[in-house]
Amino acid sequence: MPITRNEPATVTSTMPDVRGHGRGREAKPTNFFGIVIRTPFWIFTAALAVIFLYPLVWTAVRSVSPLAGTNQTEGWGLGNYITLAGYQDGILQYIGNSLFVSLLTVLLTLVISLFGGYAFARFQFRGKNALFLATIAILMVPYATLLIPLYVLLNLVGLSNSLVGVALVLTMFQLPFSTFMMRIAFESIPKELDEAAMVDGCNAWTVLWKVLVPAVKPGLITVGLFAFLAAWNDFMAPLILINDSSKMTLPLAVSNLRGQVQGVVDYGATEAGVVVLALPCILLFLILQRHYVRGFMSGAFKG
Amino acid sequence: MRSTHTRRMQRIGGVLAASALLVGLAACSSGGGSSTPLASAGPEGVDEGSELTLWTRAPLEKQAKLLVEAYNASHENQVKLTVVPNDDYVAKVGAAAGSDSLPDLFAADIVYVPNWVEQGLFQDLTANIDQLSFKDEINPGHLAAGTSDNKEHVLPFVLDLSMLFWNKELYKEAGLDPEVGPTTLAEFAQDAKAVQALNKPDTYGTATGLNCGGCLVFTWFPSVWADGEQVMNEDGTESLLAEDGAKEVYSTWADLWKSGAVLPSSKDEAGPTWTAGFTEGKVGVMPYPATLLSSTPFDVGVSGIPGPKGGDSTFVGGDGIGVSKDSKKAAQSWNFLSWLMSEDAQVGVLAKNSDVVSRADFAENEYSSKDPRLVTINEVAAKGDTPFSLNFQEAFNSPTSPWLTLVRNAVLEGTDTVDADDDAITDVLSQ
Amino acid sequence: MSTTLARRHTTDSVGARRRRAGNARTGWLFALPTAVFVVFLFLVPLVLVFQMAGSDWPLLGGNQGWNFPDNFPKAIDNRFFLDSVVFTLKYTAIATVLLIGLGLGLALLVQESSRWKGFLRTAFLIPSALGLASASLLFYVLYSPIAGPFADLTKALGFTFLGTPDAALWSTVFLIVWRFAGFYMLLMLVGLQGIPEDVYEAARIDGASRWQIFRDITVPLLKPTLALTTVMCVTGSLLAFEQFYILTKGGPDNSTITVVQLIYNVAFQGQNNLGVAGALSVIVLAALIVINIVQIRAFSKKAED
Repeated sequence: MPITRNEPATVTSTMPDVRGHGRGREAKPTNFFGIVIRTPFWIFTAALAVIFLYPLVWTAVRSVSPLAGTNQTEGWGLGNYITLAGYQDGILQYIGNSLFVSLLTVLLTLVISLFGGYAFARFQFRGKNALFLATIAILMVPYATLLIPLYVLLNLVGLSNSLVGVALVLTMFQLPFSTFMMRIAFESIPKELDEAAMVDGCNAWTVLWKVLVPAVKPGLITVGLFAFLAAWNDFMAPLILINDSSKMTLPLAVSNLRGQVQGVVDYGATEAGVVVLALPCILLFLILQRHYVRGFMSGAFKG
Repeated sequence: MRSTHTRRMQRIGGVLAASALLVGLAACSSGGGSSTPLASAGPEGVDEGSELTLWTRAPLEKQAKLLVEAYNASHENQVKLTVVPNDDYVAKVGAAAGSDSLPDLFAADIVYVPNWVEQGLFQDLTANIDQLSFKDEINPGHLAAGTSDNKEHVLPFVLDLSMLFWNKELYKEAGLDPEVGPTTLAEFAQDAKAVQALNKPDTYGTATGLNCGGCLVFTWFPSVWADGEQVMNEDGTESLLAEDGAKEVYSTWADLWKSGAVLPSSKDEAGPTWTAGFTEGKVGVMPYPATLLSSTPFDVGVSGIPGPKGGDSTFVGGDGIGVSKDSKKAAQSWNFLSWLMSEDAQVGVLAKNSDVVSRADFAENEYSSKDPRLVTINEVAAKGDTPFSLNFQEAFNSPTSPWLTLVRNAVLEGTDTVDADDDAITDVLSQ
Repeated sequence: MSTTLARRHTTDSVGARRRRAGNARTGWLFALPTAVFVVFLFLVPLVLVFQMAGSDWPLLGGNQGWNFPDNFPKAIDNRFFLDSVVFTLKYTAIATVLLIGLGLGLALLVQESSRWKGFLRTAFLIPSALGLASASLLFYVLYSPIAGPFADLTKALGFTFLGTPDAALWSTVFLIVWRFAGFYMLLMLVGLQGIPEDVYEAARIDGASRWQIFRDITVPLLKPTLALTTVMCVTGSLLAFEQFYILTKGGPDNSTITVVQLIYNVAFQGQNNLGVAGALSVIVLAALIVINIVQIRAFSKKAED
């Protein structure tokens, strides 16, 4: 472990703002010796950061730089994005579809896991453990095999070839994580809080809305962000479940675009597609990072 | 802790067992038939403003789009086209077939057609096809692939032939005659090596997809046929790919590979970019899909694919199209199919786009007379072949096919296992 | 939860019992949406998977009736079954060791808060915002011998990222580590945060070395986190599919076929046999349940020690 520095790896805490700033641990030796001793650490960590960021930066740069066999052969520019924008029904249509699916998935996931987490954390009822385990077991079944039965099933209820059907399926796949997360988030809130509210005449419903929801907000943000990222990026479910090209989602459109002309992969348009796919996720992630991390901290995974 | 856990697991098992009883409820329904009598639809079918759905795979998007646009512009019926990524097409069709929700019309890679017909995915079109006065002119390979028990189910949608393409510019530079292509496999190898000998950076003699079963079938089978040999027995249950002609093909490519005249990325090429090198002008000569003629940006020569002892042939690939078992608008769908076979579609759309026509009587048309290469392609098409087997996909096209194992062993590894590998193909074919 | 039950029992009265019954009903009401989703979108399809496993069910031909247990020997006899199991286990071992190790290492590296470390944390976490499919697509171009940034270098060295079995495996592992290391780092950070400050303080006063502190305090107290992350990582890796589907398609020479890839191939790319694919899925599900029980037991046993 190359923590080549005078402080042992002992200081816990201090994810952003969770516990404040851990006891002035940041005081760094600023003398010459300290800088020399820290240089390998700086180089090492900077190299690590480069490894993690390089693929993203490279893709973004390449999407606007010239490459033979793409729509951007000379000079820098947005040629690849123009290819992308004009693809089939137009990229806006696909972004719209993806947004619809993603937002609906987020909404459903939030509502279901909020109620579910509350039920699992605060109530005793028959079949509770079986239901919880069944929810977690969703993780253990190969995605591809479940999609065919789901296709058959959605057909039976008239939800085939519909973005709502895709959102339902994606919500189901989000449940293990989100239910687990919300259960722990609720469990980490002291019971005295709702008991006090009960004494004040609240019922289970008002306790949830007035007292508990504010307390599990970080958990909800984490769950919601997770659901958004998964739904926005999912490829297999819309591939199997959607038939109309006007209802395709963005990952499907980008993947189709890749093999548009037989034998020639349009690498430029693929890169542009990856950028369009990734950019909203990265921005959203950066904006919500603080809350997202706090969601994990709010009791979850502490063991 | 441990005991609670086992108890939980037991309870889960209980839930599963209980829901197993529900199986009957969820089992899929079967059947469904067309509501419009197809046989009485007449040679033209019905054109009364229905909306029809049509699926095709991505490699044929360009042709499919042109055809659909032309049809929609001139008919009351409107066709809605869905393009599916090539690798995912079977999954999508399979999912739809299982729940009786196939589109009205769908195209299928012609090598899969026998199997799909056998599985009952297409409606019987015999009566309608027999009414066509020009039935004998329609590409026989495609028709035969869609025929089962003397019933015809499929018409050719887009023909894709494998032809030998060479880059005239590179041929000139290498001191070869740009107007005359190789006439035997050995000459092909010589030409490839001559281009390689130019030692131009990023330029190679030839290329192929050595990790792409479909590409290899498409480009190498014709060399076997050119000599009059066969790749399979008539029923498609036994592989004949260890005969002398086939072995000659492997050794020619093994020699080319060893001499460094093959584009290095060919080794791992699984299909998506197997023609890219040639399109970018980096490859001298290679067997290549004729559908790409119109999108090749420089001057190329075209001929049939030669065999070891001369002769030439082609793989009549591409997609067949039929009316799906789930279509409720069969008579309207037939209207599209009958138009597809007409001069308007064949010459006015396909030939205009430098594509091969599906009817022999249109082989010479106003467009082909302007480009002698099209005449060559149409002529070779008549000599070409379409292999027939129910298990074609698993034996040849699948990424885990025994055919790929055979080729990679013979060409890349240089092992002497052709006979054993050929038996493995027969094992799959004869299932 | 056992403590709350115990507390309730001591104050058992008619009113309390009635309240508990009402409680149970309210609980069910809140759990109902979860139950509806799990039953209709998971358990019922799962039952269908079981039915497929016991039926002659060609993909294109539909259900042809029961044939139990014919699909199971067919599944095991598949010529790639053994290879895919071995490969999946190998991949899982590599991915788990690397992700857990790197996750912990990165967490230790950046756990204190400073501007630079905050930046590092963000840098490590950003790839986890990408979907696995986009990430695989991104690396598909990155590894490409035509358009990739290392195209010239690999050409000079006569090497390709996906050309040999080992290269393909490690290239895919790199993609996975890139995509997930930050996420596991985050989970580790959360675990580390749960270790009380004074434990370290005491150890330091006792003159423990950094390595001793790591071995005797950090690792044992991190056990619950390690258990959870290991279970997650093992389950996820055993079901690996998308990354191989986009990058290698199981090649070269069938060397990177995972079990799920095999299921996909049997269902959609060759045999087109949903029965055998269903049988394989059932086998995988059973194996996963066993593996997870073993893991959970192993971890809880160690925790008792």
